[in-house]
Amino acid sequence: MNEGGNFRAAGASRAIPPLLLLAAMAVLPMFHLGPNTIKLLFLTFVWVTASVGWNILGGFAGQISFGFAVFFGLGAYSTAVGINRGLSPYLTYPIAAAVAAFASLLIGLPTFRLRGPYFAIATIGVSEAVRVVMTNLDFTGGSSGYRITELGPFRQTEHYYTALALAAFAVGISMVVRSSRFGLGLRAIRDDQDAAADSGVNPYASKLAAHAIAAALTGAAGGVFARYSAFIDPEGVFGFHRSVGILLMPVIGGVNTIWGPVIGGGVYGMIEEELVAKFPQFHLLLYGVLVMLIILFEPGGVMGLLQRSRRFLLRRRVASWQHS
Amino acid sequence: MTATDFLNLFISALLLAGTYAAMAVGMTVIYGVMKIVNLAHAGFLMLGAYFVYELHERTGMHPLLGVLLAFPAFFAAGVLVHWVLGRGMPVSDTPTLASLLLMFGLWLVLQNIGYLVWGTDDRSILTPMTFATIRFGDITIPKIGLVVFASAAVSLAALEFILHKTWFGRSIRALIQNRYACRIVGIPVEQTARLTFGLGVAFAGAAGGLLALLYPFSPDFGRPFLLRSFVIIVLGGLESFSGVFVGALILALVETFSILIVPSSYQPAISFSLLVLALIVLPGGVAGLVARLRSRKAA
Repeated sequence: MNEGGNFRAAGASRAIPPLLLLAAMAVLPMFHLGPNTIKLLFLTFVWVTASVGWNILGGFAGQISFGFAVFFGLGAYSTAVGINRGLSPYLTYPIAAAVAAFASLLIGLPTFRLRGPYFAIATIGVSEAVRVVMTNLDFTGGSSGYRITELGPFRQTEHYYTALALAAFAVGISMVVRSSRFGLGLRAIRDDQDAAADSGVNPYASKLAAHAIAAALTGAAGGVFARYSAFIDPEGVFGFHRSVGILLMPVIGGVNTIWGPVIGGGVYGMIEEELVAKFPQFHLLLYGVLVMLIILFEPGGVMGLLQRSRRFLLRRRVASWQHS
Repeated sequence: MTATDFLNLFISALLLAGTYAAMAVGMTVIYGVMKIVNLAHAGFLMLGAYFVYELHERTGMHPLLGVLLAFPAFFAAGVLVHWVLGRGMPVSDTPTLASLLLMFGLWLVLQNIGYLVWGTDDRSILTPMTFATIRFGDITIPKIGLVVFASAAVSLAALEFILHKTWFGRSIRALIQNRYACRIVGIPVEQTARLTFGLGVAFAGAAGGLLALLYPFSPDFGRPFLLRSFVIIVLGGLESFSGVFVGALILALVETFSILIVPSSYQPAISFSLLVLALIVLPGGVAGLVARLRSRKAA
């Protein structure tokens, strides 16, 4: 629990690896990687952002959502409409985030009032309902999709840096939330809602706020994704597989940690494209098996595995030291 | 709308309600005893549909016999799944994140096994009954709807019998009320939970078979019905068996009559809207409302 304190105390040394990672990512395009590699990294940053967003609600506050495609899709469509209306793309990302955050309130206001599984199940319905509405909405082309016409040349590195900046921003937000009083409240709600309420945390308001932050990040990720794709359709951005993916990343990496969702997003981003192309149906089967194995054997995901192996190595070192 | 139209719609809503009740009741028992929201319910509904379909296609077996066979087959499957997942399926007071994700993973697995085996095409079970109707003057009743309703009613009656007249049923009802008291009086909690999971899955499988008689299905068949099941049990108050009937009736009525005002392409959004409405107006469901009214009368 003293993670927050440690963070501040050992702040300088702990901040070095992430900053190195960021620097490495920032200079990477200068090595003339192929456009495919850049695209892969771009998508990975988008997924990392969504994954980190999901974790703020699902990991820190412990409220599982199966419907983050709603925010991703709304963000994508907001940016698309904004760019087509002639707005600067960078102006549309905050709009995308705001639209997603607003939608999160609409979902959260009725469902967070009650404790229990209501929120999780309702989110399955939300994405379905929104997808249906978007499929029938005329001004965005309905089910046949929506094309984004942006004037000027296509600069892939610009997209790359936008996504990288957004991912870094998301991780920063995640760190701030985790070490803040608000984040402590969220984790208290996760552990014991009654005790949290007794100690002066407002569970309802905190969950709503966490949901809004998570939705805003995911919405912005959707916007960045839409501008790159230049074409979006309801099935692609609102589809159920999208929600599954956003949920899967933090679970793979390790929920309720800062770096778990980043690792999960990285893993997912790297394998998703290949996997979907090769096994269009099979990849969800694989994801299902993966979720079950993780929950049964290592609920901490990759982060849990790393911690466990580190403890194992430490113990061995201590043991060998005692023997000699 | 004429009176006969209204009556026709009303009758089809009633018939649908029976099937919906059979569909949702499996989710209620599992939630009541284990506080696990069985998201894999959708997967078992789908498998039930294909189970009846395959038996019908390969052996020419009557679909209703297939539905009957689905009960023992899916009961065994449910017990097996519970046994395999073992410690991942705790009996707890509140739904845990782990069990939610676990059931979600199971659902993904079942759904995509469906895709691997049967592909993405829609299938349907056609029998001579499918398009037959029974006429009473102006009122037409689809024969298949009546048959499915009757089967659902019989299976629900059997469930009522099990719940109220057998020791297994009594221990289920006791577990729903208080798990700790159950341990004190010597109810084998884990064993009952395992059998309950089997019972819930058995109802999911059989209900999937019944639904397959009414609608075409694909491996994604279960998803809309999962949400409907949840709407029904929320309306009913999550753990109440009589609440399931009320919830099923409300949902069937709303869905059937909404075709008069809501365009059919927006139909999938209806069950969700009803869920949100239920959460705002009727938290605790019909059972909660009844309890509140009763306590007000007492006070």
